[in-house]
Amino acid sequence: MAQRFDAAGATPAANLLSRVFTWRRRQLIVAFLFVLPALINFLTFRYIPIFEAAYASVFEYSLLGGFGDFIGLAHYERMLTDPVLWRAFQSTVMFVVYKVPLQIVLALALALYLSRQTVGTAIVRSAILTPMVTSLIIVSIIWAMIYHSQNGLIQSILLSLGLPKVAFLSDVNNAMPAVAAMMIWKDIGFSFIIFVAGLKGIPEMYYEAAIVDGANRWQSFRHITLPLLRPIMMFVIVTQTIFSFQVFVPIYQMTQGGPLDSTKVIVYYIYQMGFRFQEMGYASALSIVTLVVLLTVSWLQMRVLKVDE
Amino acid sequence: MSRGLRLADWASRLVVYPLLVFLFLAPTLWMIFGSLRPDSETYQYLFPFGWHTLVPIEWTLDHYRTIFALTESRRPTNFGKHFLNSAYVASGIILLSLLVNTLAAYFFARLRFPGKRWLMLFVLATLVIPSEATIVPLYMVVRDLGIQNSFAGLIIPWYASPFVVFALTQFMREQISYELDEAAMIDGAGLWTVLWRVLVPNIIPGLVTVSLLEFQVVWNMFYWPLVVIADRDLQLLQVVIGGTVGPNSLPRGRTFAGASLATVPVVLVFLLLQRYYVQGVASTGVKG
Repeated sequence: MAQRFDAAGATPAANLLSRVFTWRRRQLIVAFLFVLPALINFLTFRYIPIFEAAYASVFEYSLLGGFGDFIGLAHYERMLTDPVLWRAFQSTVMFVVYKVPLQIVLALALALYLSRQTVGTAIVRSAILTPMVTSLIIVSIIWAMIYHSQNGLIQSILLSLGLPKVAFLSDVNNAMPAVAAMMIWKDIGFSFIIFVAGLKGIPEMYYEAAIVDGANRWQSFRHITLPLLRPIMMFVIVTQTIFSFQVFVPIYQMTQGGPLDSTKVIVYYIYQMGFRFQEMGYASALSIVTLVVLLTVSWLQMRVLKVDE
Repeated sequence: MSRGLRLADWASRLVVYPLLVFLFLAPTLWMIFGSLRPDSETYQYLFPFGWHTLVPIEWTLDHYRTIFALTESRRPTNFGKHFLNSAYVASGIILLSLLVNTLAAYFFARLRFPGKRWLMLFVLATLVIPSEATIVPLYMVVRDLGIQNSFAGLIIPWYASPFVVFALTQFMREQISYELDEAAMIDGAGLWTVLWRVLVPNIIPGLVTVSLLEFQVVWNMFYWPLVVIADRDLQLLQVVIGGTVGPNSLPRGRTFAGASLATVPVVLVFLLLQRYYVQGVASTGVKG
């Protein structure tokens, strides 16, 4: 600031104009330098990978040889007839369907149940949040042991209740629900926190007015709580769907896609293609398609959830 | 609520609360206690389920001696080294994040620039790019830059964060009045001085919150180090532990000890600073 006034006092008018101009330009450059390191990082590690993947998906590409001949849409044609890919998409969707709706309903129920401060609420809340800060790989290791078909903790509990042992991760029908159940346990804290914050934001007087009007608890929930939670609900549904669609670590650690490919989800399949079979070109094409599918799904969810408001 | 109903509600909570606490803590407690007892005991008290299924009778630190390679073993793995690797990478990301994202937040909160909105959009749009699904392309870019298989390859791609930029921008806009900046400017302070002397001291709670969230995410990352690090000596704790256990492994004290080592720092930090953490998640929607 001070500079500017000094310059104005000491120079003729024509000179002044160009000086002010360069001063202004210098200010802009200085300002831009503040944001530049972050922008370069986002460009390099968030945007360029997508372009590189799009590029790699239409060329022959290997890790050692780099880019090779143009092969056009061959990778995309291959997808159309790749039976493993279609099963992987189905498994992924099943996982999302098992996990997201149940997690949201349970999280909301817990948030409502624990909304009033009573003795012990704080302890229960901390307990619910603990799995969320534990790493997913550790949770997967421990739960694989909890689910263990012979010496798992759950088998111990089942036996004590007089029930027979159940095969979880080694059973084609049980493996995916078992992983989904674990992931609900792990992730529910996230939705829970957001719902608790959302419920706190609803003014108490709405409920008081409803009681005056003779509404029962279900009616207050249906006509006050739910509509006012709608934006939050949408946020939770969209983000949880995106995260769940990309499930990888528990599959990698607990089932490795098995038994019989029943838990082979899309991100695990991409991992295998890219890093196990070294098919980076095909893996890139799969990444691009997954990206497009995910963006479309989130966009659709936002449309649908907004439309009937 | 009538008095009877309230009593029933209270009584039901007496049952439900302990059940919830058990449900959410039992796996973690099983892990921690399992790391502190001989393996024979873990199996002996597994059936039928009871108090000692979880809680040890004979306490021992043997498993910890094993994982720090203090005992004789055919293939010693020193988890301590990998613990330090994780600590090193986590601090690197958090320090760089605090620097770079604070600078960017200052730009968005305070500086004049044509098309600033579009730049913000450029930053926030990265939020919709699914990260796990684009690991293969990210790997190709990191490989082109020649920083794969190094700490740089672990740190550099992740220190800029759209969440952190956005959260800090909000903090600066909402919590510090622009007059404070102006007063400092009139006293002759430049942009750099205003940022570090006026704004930063006033957003310390915000900086703590974002650091906490980032620490949790970075400490727990798995997929990226798994693919980008080939040299076992550089590998992070989480991946090394994952590598020592197969999907069908029996419960073992050694595994429990490694898993506890990887879990305890982040859970402790969380319990100490839970309030910040909850606020952070509630206001930014960051997910671990």
